[in-house]
Amino acid sequence: MSEAHHGSLQLRVKRIEAVTPEINRYTFSAADGSWLPPFSGGSHIRVLIPFEGETRRNAYSLMSSPYDTSEYQIAVRRVDEGKRGSIAMHRDVREGDVLSATIPANLFPVSKHARHHVFIAGGVGVTPIYAQLDELSLKGSSFELHLAVRGPEHAALGHELRERYGERVVLYGDGDGTRLNSYEILGGLPLGTHAYVCGPSRMVDDVIRAAHTHGWTDSHIHFERFEDLGSTGDPFSVTLARSGAVVEVSPEQSLLEAVEEAGHKLPYLCRGGACGECETEVLELEGTIDHRDDWLSESDRCTNKLIMPCVSRATCTKLVLNA
Amino acid sequence: MLITGIKSRPIYDELAPMATGTSHVAAAQGSGGEPLVRLLGAMIPGQLAATTVLYSIESFTGKNYLADLRNFAVRELVVFPNNADAVRGLDAFLATAKMGTRLYLSGSEGFIGTSMQVATSYGMNRDEVLREHAGSFVRRVWCAHCSHYSENVSRRIFRCPGCERNLIVRDHYSGRLAAFQGVKADGEVPGELPENEELDT
Repeated sequence: MSEAHHGSLQLRVKRIEAVTPEINRYTFSAADGSWLPPFSGGSHIRVLIPFEGETRRNAYSLMSSPYDTSEYQIAVRRVDEGKRGSIAMHRDVREGDVLSATIPANLFPVSKHARHHVFIAGGVGVTPIYAQLDELSLKGSSFELHLAVRGPEHAALGHELRERYGERVVLYGDGDGTRLNSYEILGGLPLGTHAYVCGPSRMVDDVIRAAHTHGWTDSHIHFERFEDLGSTGDPFSVTLARSGAVVEVSPEQSLLEAVEEAGHKLPYLCRGGACGECETEVLELEGTIDHRDDWLSESDRCTNKLIMPCVSRATCTKLVLNA
Repeated sequence: MLITGIKSRPIYDELAPMATGTSHVAAAQGSGGEPLVRLLGAMIPGQLAATTVLYSIESFTGKNYLADLRNFAVRELVVFPNNADAVRGLDAFLATAKMGTRLYLSGSEGFIGTSMQVATSYGMNRDEVLREHAGSFVRRVWCAHCSHYSENVSRRIFRCPGCERNLIVRDHYSGRLAAFQGVKADGEVPGELPENEELDT
């Protein structure tokens, strides 16, 4: 199997398909021809995209089957505003190129105990659901998918899933004037149902609100926002106390990524601020920590004695870690 | 309330209305009627009208709260002659229940545990269920040798009705089996039984 070096894999671009006017699908295989690390439905990788002398680190959900690790597939929607990593993916990346990417991490897994799964997505938000449905259909689980698109020319991925799963996939905005209504979708569902939403923040908030209105508890509501992943912000520098090394963290990378790039190791698992594995002691701080994780308690945060390097940053003149 | 040094034993709650729920089902047994009466008393009329009560009159201590329970204007009150029937009644209710349902359980540990097995099989999570222990602290015990379940065990050593072995009741509760583990008491030296104390139940 392909091994990660400093947390990253070498992926060769095997195939590029334009699936909508804005979305390309990229199929990768391991650059050394071996098997890629396995993943579960809902996982993402972060692709290191060379862009005008810098590196963009964009998170993309894996949409290929979790049961075939000879390749990974992602879909990239070209976004003209923002940091424009997706423009480089569309404009510069060619079949045969080799890109670095992080190993898969899953912050959006399916619930193993659900009696029924309801997926709600907008546009390219359908990508993690591709892999999740692969997983569920093989197990024979009960599911339905509601996908909103901006018009028939943007519906290709939805049509592909309809081909595979038939009536269980409902498309909205595919030229027939229908609109996705999360309140209606989530009403009257059997006990033990789980809902998953992936899309813009507005859609995620709307689904959470609708579920709460129907009396759902949070343990049945799962979501992934487009803008959630990754750690970007102002640059800062960090000192690793054990080696004395000083590492510069650039605006486009996380503290963990910068430390790895400099050839040092920190423990990690999820790389998304959820699992707690990378928790690191702060020995000295002149400034403030920008805690972005879901792991530390409010009281832990206030003491500023701990930091989660996979997502959190600092605005500081001095930061020394026990690492 | 049960407070012991047994780490595997569930931590029980106090019953109180879960305001975010849209439908409620409360199942209780014997002394569990007391927390149930308190729960219903704390509910507003709209919640009571959306509440189904399942009550078993089987009781180890002989307490019966049926008369008090009849004072509330709930959606439905169903009475069962024994705990096993009440658990089956809960199963039938949950089979057609919708998301938004909240479950309240009170009574003996065995009743709460077996009811939780049913709730779990319908995919209910801990944030949809409150459990309050009431009444006797007798244990439900699973025999590690013949898989027989014994209800209402109150002493450290007892004879398993399934396989006739003398079992020692360990302080090890399994949420999955909803029972304490019982193992052969004289496994090391045949005939040599440990002290048969009253359980710290």
